[in-house]
Amino acid sequence: MVESMEFRFHGRGGQGGVTCAKIVAAAYASLGKSVQTFGDYAAERSGAPVRAYTRVADQPIVNRNKVYEPHHIVVLDHHLLGAAVFAGVRGGGTVLINTPEPAEVYATQHPELTIGTVDATAIARKHGIGSRTVVIVNTTIAGAFARLHGLSLDLLRETYERLGFLSNFDAAREAFEAVVVRPVLGAARSAPAHDGRPAAALPPVEALTEHVVSAPTGLQTGTWGTQRPQYLEKLAPCNAFCPAGNDVVEFIQSLHNDQTGQAATILGRTTPLAGVCGRVCPAPCMEGCNRREYDGSVNIRGLERWVADTTAVAWAKPTPDPKPERIAIVGGGPAGLSAAYQLARAGHRPAIFDGEAELGGVLRTGIPAYRLPRDVLDAEISGIVDLGVDVHCGAFLDRDALAKLSDDYDAVILATGLQKLRDIEAPGNDLRGIEQGIAFLHRQNMQGGVHTSGHVVVLGGGNTAMDCARTALRAGAERVTVAYRRTRKEMPAIPEEIDEALQEGVVLLERVAPAGFTGSGDVDGIDLAEVEMGPPDDSGRRRPVVTDRIVHLDCDYVLLALGQSADTSLLPETWELRGEQLFRRDDTPLNVFAAGDLATGDGTVTHALGSGRRAAGLALRALGHDVQVFERPDRRTAVPATDIRVDHFARRKPEHGTTLSSDDRLHHFDEVHAGLLDSGEAHRCFSCGHCTRCDTCLVYCPEGIIRREAPGYEVDYTYCKGCGICVEECPRRAMEMIES
Amino acid sequence: MTAEFLSANHAAATAAALAGRANASARGFGGGVYPITPQSECIELLCKMDFTGPDGRSRGEIVRVESEHSAMAVCIGMAQAGVRTFTASSSNGLAYMTENVFAAAMYRLPIVMMAVNRTLGPPWNIWVDHGDTLMLRDSGWMQFYCEDNQEVLDTILFTYRLAEDRRVLLPALVCQDAFVLSHTMMMTEVPELEQVERFLPLLDLPHRLTHEPVTVGGMDFPHETEIHRHQHAAAMAAVPAVYRECQDAFEECFGRRPADAVEPYRMDDADTVIVSMGTMASTVRAVIDAARERGEKVGALRVRMFRPFPDAELTDLLAGAKRVAVLDRDISLGKGGVLWSELRGAEPRDCLVQNYVIGLGGGDVRPHDIQNLLDDLRGRDEVSAPRLMEVAP
Repeated sequence: MVESMEFRFHGRGGQGGVTCAKIVAAAYASLGKSVQTFGDYAAERSGAPVRAYTRVADQPIVNRNKVYEPHHIVVLDHHLLGAAVFAGVRGGGTVLINTPEPAEVYATQHPELTIGTVDATAIARKHGIGSRTVVIVNTTIAGAFARLHGLSLDLLRETYERLGFLSNFDAAREAFEAVVVRPVLGAARSAPAHDGRPAAALPPVEALTEHVVSAPTGLQTGTWGTQRPQYLEKLAPCNAFCPAGNDVVEFIQSLHNDQTGQAATILGRTTPLAGVCGRVCPAPCMEGCNRREYDGSVNIRGLERWVADTTAVAWAKPTPDPKPERIAIVGGGPAGLSAAYQLARAGHRPAIFDGEAELGGVLRTGIPAYRLPRDVLDAEISGIVDLGVDVHCGAFLDRDALAKLSDDYDAVILATGLQKLRDIEAPGNDLRGIEQGIAFLHRQNMQGGVHTSGHVVVLGGGNTAMDCARTALRAGAERVTVAYRRTRKEMPAIPEEIDEALQEGVVLLERVAPAGFTGSGDVDGIDLAEVEMGPPDDSGRRRPVVTDRIVHLDCDYVLLALGQSADTSLLPETWELRGEQLFRRDDTPLNVFAAGDLATGDGTVTHALGSGRRAAGLALRALGHDVQVFERPDRRTAVPATDIRVDHFARRKPEHGTTLSSDDRLHHFDEVHAGLLDSGEAHRCFSCGHCTRCDTCLVYCPEGIIRREAPGYEVDYTYCKGCGICVEECPRRAMEMIES
Repeated sequence: MTAEFLSANHAAATAAALAGRANASARGFGGGVYPITPQSECIELLCKMDFTGPDGRSRGEIVRVESEHSAMAVCIGMAQAGVRTFTASSSNGLAYMTENVFAAAMYRLPIVMMAVNRTLGPPWNIWVDHGDTLMLRDSGWMQFYCEDNQEVLDTILFTYRLAEDRRVLLPALVCQDAFVLSHTMMMTEVPELEQVERFLPLLDLPHRLTHEPVTVGGMDFPHETEIHRHQHAAAMAAVPAVYRECQDAFEECFGRRPADAVEPYRMDDADTVIVSMGTMASTVRAVIDAARERGEKVGALRVRMFRPFPDAELTDLLAGAKRVAVLDRDISLGKGGVLWSELRGAEPRDCLVQNYVIGLGGGDVRPHDIQNLLDDLRGRDEVSAPRLMEVAP
């Protein structure tokens, strides 16, 4: 042995490199040598590159410097290998590497050195040292060290016993036997003899200078991370829940940033009826809103209305498609309007046919003006028509006309809605004063001046029932009773509509079903049977079971709002509706597509908008256009509420805007809601899965390696250890950890 | 006496525990502790130590507290009750402890504290720099700077005897360099308890608390403060003589003699002298050896005791010097090296004293760095402002 030897150990925090250096020093101390060992620490933790040094000498050691020109090095993780590891190694020295690679790989690269390799990680893992993922290799590789440097197994065992590592000795022995050395131990070396000079040049010593600052050596701490954060735009639940496919989160974030024009543009991509939806949409987005259980959903409907009310609807004229298609749309309701809008925007020339005198469908015939003022509806329909839509109103199409349309046009979209009204099978149903609610509303909405008096009973629980009840009150009824066979909770009407009806004085009778009507000529009463709630049906609602317990109610007028269905009897006999497309009986597809309630039966404006947009896409695709057909996103992939860091958000109740008093509003059909005063409600949006550049990731990063870089942030992966704190702290989960 | 393979942090804890057990038949041992890198290893080991006496009763209590300020407060309370006390800290921990560091000295309590010298932050730096303990220069504590593992262990034992001497009764700060010493393992001679008991008399604090309640540290009027400072200064002045007695006693008990307050190296006929503290002195010696081989008249002084400052010893030792380099691993911003400014005046007339501030923030000061400044010193005709030297990373 030489008079003094210096060893340098390269490992990572957690592998035990410092202890490995200590084992070696302790073994040599047993041989009577002077020893010194120390780690070279930084403020780094698990996984950081760590060095350790051991000096062995026959004389007392007084050197307190680090080891710059080691005789031998030990590398506990072969991923660390690089110039820094080999720096200063003396020719003729040894390098022991923990690696699954054969020694020859390194021996050819470093002919001046003796290379020893051993897969200490595999051996240590086999012996269960450390955990399966964080294997502690120090006591194992020390066995290989002993073999390489001619220390006996007995000496090693004695050292392990003294240091309390005896349980790891079997792994050390296995490494002792497994280490592969190139050139083989004892073989004559062809490399030049050790001349005492360093193999690699050291950086030059700085001159004696004043006020010079040397930059500390950076540890590339990103090299051992197994995961790394990534910014991702994820599906917000409002977007996932919107049947029209509106980019809800982005339009609200635009409002949050005071960019109302941009919000209008975003909405305009998917809906031409923001003013309508901002008033009458049941707003499934608000059911999905992650803020719902925290302090109340963001008033998305109100914000959509605010955008429509504060920005003039003037869509840019579309550029004609190089291959413009003539497409007929039957039905001027929201589905037909949506299809016409999307086709016109894409540069085609749609023609829209409707049996009524004006476009709008149920928006015009069914929804009362106090919910949807006609000027709002008219303005938005004008906006659509002005894009280049041929309008044919007052054109009720029979079977033959439909068949001809299919021949005359490149494609036909049927959006005829639910024309068949559900009637009631009960004694006395033919008495005067019993009317379909849809017909009642049609009369008021299209002609006006409808008058009601006395006690009006409305049968049903949907929005039509509420519209009937409230219209009847405004038309002069002394009192109005809504009779529904389930409970309020199960009513399909928009909850706010029910609230407002009750505020206006409507009485709700729950769990009753009509058993018969009384009167001679004119109806003067109704028999209502009590209903018990049975087991749930397919829709999850409890099935009503009608009993024979009857109560009698005097009344003067009865409105039926029991539901509607598609009337397929209006289709040519050879046609068959199969979901979204029509086929001949012989299975050949027609150029006819279905949209809106005819296709889906969902019965809301927002579903109709989505369906109309989809039908436009299906028709164009069938005609050979390369278009993206709207698909509803999978709600299950939306950011769940549990991913939101609510601690970052102060609780604040939603803004509802102003409403006319219930006394005031009963005397006219003026709009009940005045809408939001401003767009401040947008500030409540969590922006689920959508980065708002809030800087939380940047602030919380313990390494300080996230910086602003347009459009968002940039992570310096050279130093990112993959701790995941940024992702955990992201208020809106716009980041995820991914395998690196 | 057995040789053990210990880090200097563990050597300090081992020495403290031995001193503590040696007081078991008096008022026992204790202290408040709070971890801070690079000192934590020391108190971690101390917390694992068993201080159960032969009667099965605990004779020692290490109290884990929430801050350095409280750690020293615990030591103060225990010491006032006559307990032999120990704690350890470092860097910004010392800065936070400072109010009570002063209090311990003003109360004249013979607490021994081990400090691992670490750079004060921010920005944070965990490596060696003497600025943290030199900040406490005026706190009324004795200060010692160690060079190797054995000296750390020996100095803890040594300073208990010195601090508890009735002519002194002052707390002692035993300093060692971060990592270079604190985390470096070397074979260290650990004495037997019987030897320590022989060296360290039981602590009998003359002003310890009794069953009669008193207020300590109440109010001082100017003439009383003058008296207290006078007494404190006199105690400091008494240290060198007691120090030499302790050296003799230590040598008698353990068979080796602790270094003098200022440790000379190859000073015979030296006209060029390098003065330093801590582990840098080892590197300096290697450079001196090489220069002597070239026939140069160079020598070195290591200041082991910084408070009280060994003016007389330095004046004697520097009597023949023509050029003196003072190495400071610290900087008093706005002045220069602290050791240098303290030493000024001890040099003879016509002697050139140049300050080199080197190894700040834990830079590894290597032989060629020392040689560089020696060359610089040799080429000088006059003194300049303290020179800030940078060492290669």
